[in-house]
Amino acid sequence: MSSEKKQHTVQTTGHAWDGDLQEFNNPLPNWWLWGFYATVVFAVIYWVLYPAFPIGNTYTKGAFNEITYTTADGKTKTSHWTTRALLMQEMQEARELQKPYLEKINKTGYEQIAGNKEQSSFAYSTAKVLFADNCAACHQAGGAGVIGMYPNLADDAWLWGGSYAQIEESIRKGRNGNMPGFKASLSAEQIDNVAEYVLGLSGIEVNKDKAAQGKAVFEGAGTCHVCHTKAGSGQFAMGSANLTDKVWTFANVPAAKTLAEKKTAVKEVVANGFGRHMPAWNGRLSDVEIKMLAFYVHQLSAGK
Amino acid sequence: MANVTTQSPEQYNYDIVRLFTIMTVVWGVLGMLVGVYIASELAWPFLNFDNPAITFGRLRPVHTTLVIFGFGGSALFATSYYVVQRTCQTRLWGEGLAKFTFLGWNGAVGLAAVSYMMGYTQAREYAEMVWPIDLLIAVTWVAYLVIYVMTLRKRSQPHIYVANWFFIAFILATAILHIFNNMAVPVSLFSLESYSLHAGVQDAMTQWWYGHNAVGFFLTAAFLGMMYYFVPKQAGRPVYSYRLSIIHFWALIFLYMWVGAHHLHWTALPDWTSTLAATFSILLLLPSWGGMINGIMTLSGAWDRLRNDPVIRFLIVSLSFYGMSTFEGPLMSLKSVNALSHYTDWTIGHVHSGALGWVAMISMGSLYHLVPRLWETKMYSDRLINIHFWLATIGIVLYISAMWVAGIGQGLMLRAFDEYGNLAYTFIETVSFLHAPYVVRTIGGVFFVTGMILMAYNVYMTIRKGKAEAAVLEAKLAAKLANA
Repeated sequence: MSSEKKQHTVQTTGHAWDGDLQEFNNPLPNWWLWGFYATVVFAVIYWVLYPAFPIGNTYTKGAFNEITYTTADGKTKTSHWTTRALLMQEMQEARELQKPYLEKINKTGYEQIAGNKEQSSFAYSTAKVLFADNCAACHQAGGAGVIGMYPNLADDAWLWGGSYAQIEESIRKGRNGNMPGFKASLSAEQIDNVAEYVLGLSGIEVNKDKAAQGKAVFEGAGTCHVCHTKAGSGQFAMGSANLTDKVWTFANVPAAKTLAEKKTAVKEVVANGFGRHMPAWNGRLSDVEIKMLAFYVHQLSAGK
Repeated sequence: MANVTTQSPEQYNYDIVRLFTIMTVVWGVLGMLVGVYIASELAWPFLNFDNPAITFGRLRPVHTTLVIFGFGGSALFATSYYVVQRTCQTRLWGEGLAKFTFLGWNGAVGLAAVSYMMGYTQAREYAEMVWPIDLLIAVTWVAYLVIYVMTLRKRSQPHIYVANWFFIAFILATAILHIFNNMAVPVSLFSLESYSLHAGVQDAMTQWWYGHNAVGFFLTAAFLGMMYYFVPKQAGRPVYSYRLSIIHFWALIFLYMWVGAHHLHWTALPDWTSTLAATFSILLLLPSWGGMINGIMTLSGAWDRLRNDPVIRFLIVSLSFYGMSTFEGPLMSLKSVNALSHYTDWTIGHVHSGALGWVAMISMGSLYHLVPRLWETKMYSDRLINIHFWLATIGIVLYISAMWVAGIGQGLMLRAFDEYGNLAYTFIETVSFLHAPYVVRTIGGVFFVTGMILMAYNVYMTIRKGKAEAAVLEAKLAAKLANA
């Protein structure tokens, strides 16, 4: 290495510290010096092109670097380079890209959207983001919900109905699901028997005698049939759950292993009741956004 | 070898250097263990155990405070007190005051860690300490400045050695940064909470002016001071270029103060401020490299030392990581690159290539030079130093590459759009993508902290050996005196 040879002929500064600590007086390496000059040139070009130096109440705006964009209400604006103008420009591009799709979806019925490949994949893509932003916090990323709190949207069971129109109404107006508690009006034994009966409705092996006594409470003193119907299949109009399927939205029966544990879970609900509230999204989301979301939620359960 | 002096070690105040050296190792082990734990929490969140005191949010500042201020700070106190005495050939000024800096500094670090776990924080990154601890630090730091200046003033050497320029710049700048960033009004006299004196974007600007110069002066300039003494000393060769040291010192000191705003690109910060921060960061590249060149070229003509001296290995590899991270930093400060890298783990990877690669490696190398001289013996085991070197290097490489994958991957996912202009990924999808790199990062951390624990053992055994040898020597002397 030539620099190494050079170094041996280079003098030290002549000072020494702590015995043997000395310094050579080598010149600045050329590549280092020219590299530094190059960064200076880079910086100067950057300063010319972009807002850079404050002057009193204003600042140098940057040259040859204007941004023109159209705002959401159709006004055209031109500005020097700013990060905000850049955002406005990108928003405009996104608006223009999505506008024709949104106009079509706005005019089309749900069935037709489902039948049109282009429209359905646009609605799916947009609603996936809307769902993540607005719904996933409660109903979870895949719509599976949380037992005891937020209903599962991905299974076939619906509390308020699974048609496009019913789903749209749930999103638009929100829902209030209430079940009163029965610990004041029913005895512990009655509640126990009702739980036995309700578990039997969804095909779980139970004590036949107790279940028969429970049926009497269900259709009599308990007045359960008023909401859940005599057959126990529930009603979309009131959001009362279907008790004859294997889906549980509040009592965590699937997690309980023994019959006693399953009964405890059901008795808890019968005794104390519950209140669930889903907020309304009308006004927070536009009509076309609610439409795409309803479409998305509908197909989460494979359209059933 | 000019001016060889043969003064006895009692000429210097080594007691204070020994104390800080021991605390460097203690804080290093603790801080890095906490680091591995919080890295594990990110990979396996159940480790939070629903216990507020050990959640990631509270332990993260415990980690940064213990490694930056506990480990790094103690290493700087130890080496700066050692270097200023050796290069000025005078005893440290202020015996009691030096002890006060030891108690004040370590007290502040310990109190800070405990208070974070209790939930007390100012919520300013790297300045989380509540106001009473800030006051303790301010007083300690002014004492440090006075000790350093007074020692320089009573030097018996005509010139001030380059390492001391860097140390004094670091002490002065840190005092200014600490005081201005922490100006606050306590909610009441007996409340640990306070309101910042700054507001809105100015508050953010002040915080990052502090934050980046904590990197620039605390973690760069000061450790360059360390480098300027221990690299030529360990190599036994003169520093490569005095001229380069002057130019890069002043360029570094002048330019660093401007670049803090690059932590706030694409925010409410005015665009012109952003531009200045980006361009000054680019201008900072070559001045940063000046220190690397001066360190590495000092070894020119003695490259064989890399083969057989594990201490030189620590020092030279640290300079290579320093060069790499000071190249990466300006790159990330460009607005377009920052749009991808900011708010991702790329930043965490960048910080650790500097913190583990540069700061920790140069401190470890310097300590391996320092410890045998402080306890007047040889290191207990050179083999352990070598194993430590390889554990640390492998750990860093695993850590940094995992964070590149995590950061660039998440950055690309967060800004990916589909053909309809909708976001292609939800946030939770990017989080599940991070799991694998987080596991690799944790493994890297385990490598690194294992090396640190070996160092603690090696240092402990060396001190024991040094004390035993001193006792034998004393016994011999006493025997001689008795016979005479």
